[in-house]
Amino acid sequence: MKRQYLRWLCLCLTFFGMVTHSVAQDYNNASQLAQRLRALANSSANASLQSITRTAGGKDVWMLTLGTGDVDNKPAMAVVGGVDGKHLLGVEMATRFAEKILADHSDVLESTTFYVFPNMSPDATEQYFASLKYERSGNAKATDDDRDGRMGEDPFDDLDGNGIITMMRVKDPTGDWMMHPADDRVMIKANRAKGEKGSYKLFTEGRDNDRDGAFNEDGEGGVHFNKNQTYAFPYFTPGSGEHPVSELENRAMLDILYTKWNIYGIFTFGPGNNLASPWKYNRAGASKRVVTSILRGDDAINKLASDAYNKAVGMKNAPRSGAQGGDFFQWAYFHFGRLSFGTPGWWTPTVKGDSTMKPNKDKNAEVNFLRWAAQENQTDYFVDWKKLDHPDFPGQEVEVGGIAPFKMLNPPLSMIDETADKHTAFIVDLAAMQASLELVNLKVEEAGKGMTRVTVDLYNGGTLPTHSRMGARSRWLRRIKVEVKLGRGQEVVSGRKIQLIPSVGGDSAQTLTWLIRGKGSVEIEAGVAHAGSDKVSVNLK
Amino acid sequence: MKTMIKNIFSAALVLGFMLPAVAVAQNADEVFRAVGTPHNPKVQISFNRYYTAEGLDALTKKIADAYPNLVKRVSIGKSYEGREMYLMEITNFSKGDPDRKPGFYIDGNIHSNEIQGGEISVYTAWYLTENYGTVDFITEMLDERIFYIAPTINPDARNNYMKEPNTGSSPRAGMIGLDDDRDGLIDEDLPDDIDGNGSITQMRRKSATGNLIIDPQDPRKMITIGVDDKVPAGVQRYEMLGQEGIDNDGDGRVNEDPHGYYDPNRDWGWKWQPDYIQRGAYKYPFSAPENRNVADFVLAHPNIAGGQSYHNSGGMILRGPGAEEDLSTYNRADVRIYDAIGRKGEKMMPGYRYLTVYKDLYSVFGGELDWFYGSRGIYTFTNEIFTRFAYYKNNNGGRNLSYEVDQELLMGDAFEPWKPFTHPTYGEIEIGGFKKNFGRATPGFLLEEELHRNMAFTLYHAYHMPHLSIADVKEKDLGGGLKEITAVIKNDRLMPTHASQDLKYKIERPDYISISGVDVQAGMIVDNEDFGVTREQKVEPAKLRVRNIPGNGFVKVRWIVSGRGKYTITVDSAKGGLVTR
Repeated sequence: MKRQYLRWLCLCLTFFGMVTHSVAQDYNNASQLAQRLRALANSSANASLQSITRTAGGKDVWMLTLGTGDVDNKPAMAVVGGVDGKHLLGVEMATRFAEKILADHSDVLESTTFYVFPNMSPDATEQYFASLKYERSGNAKATDDDRDGRMGEDPFDDLDGNGIITMMRVKDPTGDWMMHPADDRVMIKANRAKGEKGSYKLFTEGRDNDRDGAFNEDGEGGVHFNKNQTYAFPYFTPGSGEHPVSELENRAMLDILYTKWNIYGIFTFGPGNNLASPWKYNRAGASKRVVTSILRGDDAINKLASDAYNKAVGMKNAPRSGAQGGDFFQWAYFHFGRLSFGTPGWWTPTVKGDSTMKPNKDKNAEVNFLRWAAQENQTDYFVDWKKLDHPDFPGQEVEVGGIAPFKMLNPPLSMIDETADKHTAFIVDLAAMQASLELVNLKVEEAGKGMTRVTVDLYNGGTLPTHSRMGARSRWLRRIKVEVKLGRGQEVVSGRKIQLIPSVGGDSAQTLTWLIRGKGSVEIEAGVAHAGSDKVSVNLK
Repeated sequence: MKTMIKNIFSAALVLGFMLPAVAVAQNADEVFRAVGTPHNPKVQISFNRYYTAEGLDALTKKIADAYPNLVKRVSIGKSYEGREMYLMEITNFSKGDPDRKPGFYIDGNIHSNEIQGGEISVYTAWYLTENYGTVDFITEMLDERIFYIAPTINPDARNNYMKEPNTGSSPRAGMIGLDDDRDGLIDEDLPDDIDGNGSITQMRRKSATGNLIIDPQDPRKMITIGVDDKVPAGVQRYEMLGQEGIDNDGDGRVNEDPHGYYDPNRDWGWKWQPDYIQRGAYKYPFSAPENRNVADFVLAHPNIAGGQSYHNSGGMILRGPGAEEDLSTYNRADVRIYDAIGRKGEKMMPGYRYLTVYKDLYSVFGGELDWFYGSRGIYTFTNEIFTRFAYYKNNNGGRNLSYEVDQELLMGDAFEPWKPFTHPTYGEIEIGGFKKNFGRATPGFLLEEELHRNMAFTLYHAYHMPHLSIADVKEKDLGGGLKEITAVIKNDRLMPTHASQDLKYKIERPDYISISGVDVQAGMIVDNEDFGVTREQKVEPAKLRVRNIPGNGFVKVRWIVSGRGKYTITVDSAKGGLVTR
């Protein structure tokens, strides 16, 4: 009976899955995503959806809570997408994670709550669907990116009229750029130290509308969610905002996260990557007042997660982590004190060259991408360089072309099923490692004259510690509270009625002991929202 | 009958509104002006006492009502507990565009127990308005500049300090509750006013093993027993039990989770660091709503060129950097300006020292003055109001100073004599000590002087905001219908239109120097007139964009124009104001 029911459930879920897949042929715009999240929340009692704010562009920022029972008092992970608006894949990965948890892994919700924030940059991601497409990270806040007192006076211009913004190369002996020896479509900076000479200038596609000598330096602008957090905030740079956490998106999310005491870990689908290779401990950076290195001990946790990730996901040759000042995934560890893991979720597989190809000696990512895209029979990923007359360069040879926006970061949706499955499975595995407090080895001894000695081990049955080194420093992660609940006529003669314990390591224990006077029974409670809790009842001798 | 009552009521109401504020002033025949002070003010205020948040609101309303052409009182937002945060905009509103005048921002009381800033703010508003039209310096100041004055930017906890049991140093935070001992409970072990006098003082207990005795010459005082001291057998020993309080949550500790705790002055968005690095930081910059209101106001007022925040105590005129790690932000050009104003302050406020936060006080991130300067390019000081120097006008006071002051100058009002109480944990104890309004808050009889000197320092600072004029315009006929116009734009005060921090990061837009009424063929900045060194601006030559107009300096610009009409030159500077000729 039970098996039959399960099979039926599986069938249903498969059907549901098929429906979603057949509908979604491309990434979602804001209203499609909202529809999809609403449908998901309506489909399950284990999911609830809330809009945490509306952006300046009028878009909702969504939070999906996946869990059962007392969701806010169960150890929890936040899963975050869309931290960078040009990375639509992150939105899709976070959304699929939520769908797959409900469909295939709902048992994990017994012990873990997930707060899923599918898209933190809804203003920016919308550019993917706009009539003029360019990679955008900024929200709809008006900004003066070149800080000259004028707003948006030099945006991109679609010179070739193809609806997308690519690059522009200008033949000029004073230029620093040259063609890549393996693929002359790709422009690279000439290395003078190697005797190379540049013969091109390279700009983004457009005009110098304000004639200040810089191209497209102050367009739509906006503040980047992933540049507006407090860790290593890049002051006075385009996209950073006037001060950290100046934006509605950032504030709304932080205001929520700071009330969720049960969150122990944050998983970010974005440019930052500490899973393909873990953060490295650096003694100088870890011992300064302003800490800039993962702490000793926490690096081992990161290594453990990274090894598990590489085994589970099996993607090789990851590009360098796109961590940057003001980003979210570093903030989550360095300032929020939580375990923080990040990955883009996908990157261009490395194409093994054959004898017909010129060698890509410096492993240029663009060259590799073009080879991969060709191999996969993709279309519209490159705009061939095309000459045109440019009013700012009279008499000079100007060509417009280059890799189409979004393509290098966001593979066709049809290609991500496998990676989405693997990432979901990995996050579930990660959750299985979470700290889990229990009271074990209870010993009750008579100590004479109406006194009882109670000894119990506070055991963390998880793989991860209850508090990372950083977490133990942060006031925003609670300590483990152990309380002896006394009844009438009962008294703690030795030991503390209430005590706070800073941390218990993975698969480790701390022995607690009390001398209690009185009759009847007492209850001992131990725990903390982000690492679970337990209680035992003790009959006094 | 009912109608009559109503009529009487409304008549009284009308009368109340119509009665000019002058009605409360003294008869002019009865007073004689003490120099430097409004002698018969429209608004009567006692400056020898302190006011609650509502008290300050009432005073600023009186001032605004009495001088509607000089004061606009606006709310910059609500505090955590929902109080309106009032700010006075003070300028001559009938002259010029108020928000385009160089602006000076003043606030007080960011630390809730550091109260004097509220009264200095009110005193400053009162002094400016009551002297406008009488004292030329003040009249010019309000014609040319605007003051933005927020007497308290922590009104909730100001009231808590005054109305609830506290020490002289608490609550310091605002009223947002936080879990200080990380046990999952918020503000569950506040101080307890066991003796009911409104102050949290000290607890002591008779103890055979105690290391203190009562000073036989002064029963207020405790003496520590030294290793070689021989205490006679009959003399009672005492032990100190710490701050007045009880273990409310049964965790074995007393008063360990008070209001907050966070420090509103670690909450500002310049090089902000989290609590584990910078104790007192809250969630993120401007996560305390009161600070956010101030920051939003300042961001919306790029004309603010100078700033002052009032704290207590210790008699300090502080500049940044707050953190040693931020040393490079304050470069020499700007430090020279800080030095000039700060040293003048030492002279104007005897007993005060001009100091740098990170090396003379403590090295901290997220302070208000660092945000004003680092992020907005606003020259800003923090004054730590009041110093022990003030009691006897010297620094000779030793360990007994507080006891002497209590007895000789305050007639014993500062000290709560020791009295016996029964404590739930400690049993028979005694409670006593200095009250919360002694030590940091200036005593009443010294307060008006303190307010005046601090205001005078701040007016000096405000005087040195950029002051622009088009000093000289020369014309030269170049023939062929062309004319060369050269203008000198002068700034005759200490501060440039852009601090060097501002120039480094282009915080504020350039100054615009434009000409209208003629056809401009070319425009240029003149670097050296004698040798004809100029830099041409190729785009939009009629509106020259100048990075900065230096303090006590000038900028020369030149246009080649055609046409014969009358022309107008306009200088448009965010921090330097708008000038036309």
